[in-house]
Amino acid sequence: MNTVDESRLREIVGEKNIKSDPSDLYIYGSDASVHHAMPWVVVKPENTAQVQQVMAYANENKIPVIPRGGGSGMCGQTVPVNGGISLDMKGMNRILEINMPDVYCRVEPGVVDDDLNLALKPYGVFYPPTPASSRIATIGGEIANNASGVRSVKYGATRDAVLGMKVVLANGDLVSLGAHTRVEASGYQLHKLMVGAEGTLGVVVEATLSFVPIPEFRCMGVANFDSLKDAGEAIGAIMASGSVPSMLELVDSVAIKAVNKTMDLGLKEVAASLIFEADGPVKEAVDYEINKMRQVCEKHRGKDIWASYDPKERTKIFMGRKKLFPALSKYDDNLSSTSLADDMAVPYSKMAEMAAVIHDVAKKNNIIMTAYGHCGSGCMHTKILMDTRRQDQWESARKAITEIYDYVRSVNGTTSAEHGIGLSKAESFKAEKADSINMLATIKSALDPNNILNPGKLMQAPDNWVTATNLRYSVNS
Amino acid sequence: MATKEKRFEHLKKWESTLASCIRCGYCYEHCPLFKHTGWESDAPRGKIITAFGLLSGNLELTETATEKLFNCFYCKRCEAACSSGVPLTEIFTDAKKDLQEMGFKGPGTTSVTHMNCARCLLCISTCPHEARSFNQDGIITDASKCQACGICVEVCPAGAATIEKTFGTGRDELTQRTVDFLNTHADAKFIVFACNWSYFPELQASRLPESETRDKDYEILVNMCGGRLDRQLLMMPFLNKARGVLVACCPDGDCQHDGSTKAKKLVAELKATFGQLEINSERIELVQIPAGDKTLFQAEIDTFTEKMNQLGPVR
Repeated sequence: MNTVDESRLREIVGEKNIKSDPSDLYIYGSDASVHHAMPWVVVKPENTAQVQQVMAYANENKIPVIPRGGGSGMCGQTVPVNGGISLDMKGMNRILEINMPDVYCRVEPGVVDDDLNLALKPYGVFYPPTPASSRIATIGGEIANNASGVRSVKYGATRDAVLGMKVVLANGDLVSLGAHTRVEASGYQLHKLMVGAEGTLGVVVEATLSFVPIPEFRCMGVANFDSLKDAGEAIGAIMASGSVPSMLELVDSVAIKAVNKTMDLGLKEVAASLIFEADGPVKEAVDYEINKMRQVCEKHRGKDIWASYDPKERTKIFMGRKKLFPALSKYDDNLSSTSLADDMAVPYSKMAEMAAVIHDVAKKNNIIMTAYGHCGSGCMHTKILMDTRRQDQWESARKAITEIYDYVRSVNGTTSAEHGIGLSKAESFKAEKADSINMLATIKSALDPNNILNPGKLMQAPDNWVTATNLRYSVNS
Repeated sequence: MATKEKRFEHLKKWESTLASCIRCGYCYEHCPLFKHTGWESDAPRGKIITAFGLLSGNLELTETATEKLFNCFYCKRCEAACSSGVPLTEIFTDAKKDLQEMGFKGPGTTSVTHMNCARCLLCISTCPHEARSFNQDGIITDASKCQACGICVEVCPAGAATIEKTFGTGRDELTQRTVDFLNTHADAKFIVFACNWSYFPELQASRLPESETRDKDYEILVNMCGGRLDRQLLMMPFLNKARGVLVACCPDGDCQHDGSTKAKKLVAELKATFGQLEINSERIELVQIPAGDKTLFQAEIDTFTEKMNQLGPVR
């Protein structure tokens, strides 16, 4: 039941920073996932003091608060399943400091990833986690999900880049966590704990991030394979060879067809391709890495292998990869691309088998799935292409997801590599974390005793998301 | 009130497309409406969600819900960014057709005509989209045809044609931002008035620290279309100690409102005026940039910066 006192919130953030018309709430009930639920009100704070006051009010009145960045999450992380306040952090979008001597920058959570990199570029450095959605993803959202992207194989994920942060706790208290240093050995590393917490432990209001030099040389290559198995095995072999790729991506036939259709990339429509990249300050060293990866690909029956330093060629392929998620919707005009079973990670040696399982499960359940991902970091993505109007397709999808994640756990993989858990992946997450789920719940209740911060997510999310949450689609019964 | 599907005669053909939109949000970084307000409700994705909600009956048909669909400048940058191939503005247009037939009028960004209209009908003949017509009630605008280019506003001698919701692109707002920038930046040299065809060579939705911006020598202001520019706006920077003005619009034939032709004529006239006043006519220039070519845009800005440094302040 909506118990929010809008007038109190208006006092805190001002008239222009609040929306409560049902048509606005309907929009803020969505993200890039399959779920939908309406908040009671949307509040867009401009500064830390306002966030503190909103949290203190919400805590006192036991009102859910759902911090929200770009709304590009794929698992329903920002869908307010229990109603409450959608806390739109895009109003806090200032880059506060670029500190070159100490090699860090400080930003507010609403800063967009690409904007940060544009601001860093004149200094010859970049912030590396960069997910595919970096055009709209905010730093706050990336912290909440421990986002990463194509270059994580070399440069790591968000958690690796976060040095410290300021966080508003559930009761409105403001705390500083971490430091402005590369290392910090004392205590529980609470700033790292906040990364990947999906807004369930606190509201990040400032982050201190490290950055790295923009490499002088970048070379990207593509290798085609007639079988997904060969491509999958090449990934493991490249990583085991001691190569240091700055990018190692798998795209299968479904993904190739989709990006060709929407972006006219002219990729050869084979069973699978690997996109590999090396970078560094010395060209000979980059050549060495590229040749090493090329040789491994050849050994695993890779063909049509090419590599180029040409920025135009590299950008074309890079943008094709970045736009793959939306492009999948064009694979078949009668099918929609749904963000389900969207990411996972498995050990390198299981990469080929994982890709095969995805295709087998899809076939068995009469849906189309694709296998792609930042496989160099063990990350595999998929999407489910289906007729979203058909109830039976949703049942098939749910069955397929269960089978896929059962496999992931059976080989000691993990439910989420970089997209988080939210609602859609809770079932597998809970199974995977069975041994530690009480510890997670204890941490949650210690920091948020009234359970107001993004409730109903992670270990609190229901197992059966098809029946327990509202889908954003119109599904015929 | 539940929406009756039969009333969405035009929108219903987009049912599967609205489901295909995967709601990634990649569309909204380019949207001038979103960049101005910062609300997702004003972003293209917000409008797609609204259209889906209205069509499916999940969202109540209200003035506030429907008005969102009347807010669009048709720069179509959202479509260019969409890899799902969703023709967003066609969907908005069809939604507006249905909503108009149901009696909703927006007006949102649709141009309207006030009572002081002199009925000269100039706006009808200059509207590039044949959106305006005249009947016993006076000048009326078909919201499903109006693309909010603002050319009617510019040509109306009585000031009766107007766009109520300007999202920062109105003459008064641009004037104020011009004055604010030039008076708060010691090194300020010029203003760039630009269409919204480009992924600008600047931050899209974040703000730089003051240490990074205090030495800025130019400001890019998005006026949506060169056809909207007027003499008064282009002269305003010079009244505030600017060294020059750069107008950036589409190449010939690319502008869907034919605004480039008008902008070129205006800049040529001002150059002639400058000549009469013995002011170097190179202080106002027009450059034509293909959609999305931010590299060329930055190169033109750099060239103009160099020119302004050479010319120095206006004496």
